[in-house]
Amino acid sequence: MNEESSVPFTEFWARLQALPISEHIGFTWWFPLLESIHVLAIGLVVGTILMVDLRLLGLAATRYPASRITRELVPWTWIGFVVAFTTGFGMFMAGATRYVENPAFQIKFMLLPLAALNMVWFQFRTMRTISAWDDTNVLPTTAKLAGATSLLLWIGVLLAGRWTGHLL
Amino acid sequence: MKDAIANALAESQARELMVYLLGNVPGLPPIIQTFHIVGICIVVGSIIMINLRFLGIAVPSQNITEMLNRLMPWMWWALLVNALSGLVFVIARPLRYFYNPVVPYKLALLIPAVILAFLVYRLNKSEPKYWESSSIRLRYGQFIATVSLVLWVGVIIAGRWIAYWEYIPFFYE
Repeated sequence: MNEESSVPFTEFWARLQALPISEHIGFTWWFPLLESIHVLAIGLVVGTILMVDLRLLGLAATRYPASRITRELVPWTWIGFVVAFTTGFGMFMAGATRYVENPAFQIKFMLLPLAALNMVWFQFRTMRTISAWDDTNVLPTTAKLAGATSLLLWIGVLLAGRWTGHLL
Repeated sequence: MKDAIANALAESQARELMVYLLGNVPGLPPIIQTFHIVGICIVVGSIIMINLRFLGIAVPSQNITEMLNRLMPWMWWALLVNALSGLVFVIARPLRYFYNPVVPYKLALLIPAVILAFLVYRLNKSEPKYWESSSIRLRYGQFIATVSLVLWVGVIIAGRWIAYWEYIPFFYE
């Protein structure tokens, strides 16, 4: 890190990384522990999202109404997400200045908001008509599109997340 | 035996090919690892939800028999993907994995975890509603579900620690 950084808030990331707890995470068994919990939480997040997406695509669990699958699984997705975010933030602290400049990390954090946007769009536009198609496995194109988009974005998040570790 | 296999792999052409591919195809290592992670998501997602259902904690409207029939075929395919994607790295660096102090722990957790999952699946196949037909069977199911959860959590932790054993006092001291 010699030349000027292309990333804003350079000072802030440097200070975050210099915190005693950040250094402790970076140099001890805390980092691998956080990383393994991160992977477990990702398993819960993406595992449950895959189930919902495949239902929206009409490829799995078609005997259940799409709304019920969603309602029963999404709380578990959120539990996983909170754990993944917390552990991810812990790992981020240990090397904040390197992560913000890491192209794979930057792509990951462009894909995550897109996945969120897709969810919000689905919730507010497509779910309004759900009573018309809830019990069928012939879903409207918008629902299928939401499922397929989500599937691709989350696999992209996994790939970019894994790639981050190769560029440090 | 272990030394013989490790050395044979280390000197094999398969290893040369894997090392060449992983080193020369742009992005191949993270791409194969992503297959491994997607597999983990399918296995862990299914296993957690099935076991939480056994314990009466999640997805109340889905019944156990139907969940096992629906989710576990995905899980077997995902496990195959995991085995193959993992094998790529073992073939490329056999000595690293054969003599890694965490690998025996991962296998010692993974093998019983897979056997338990297979047992639960088979019994349900041989007799529909097997796990729901009596309260004693449900109790056994709940016991297996608890053990299975602990084992799979251990598999994931051990899997990640293979790359970090030098950071873990338990392994380097």
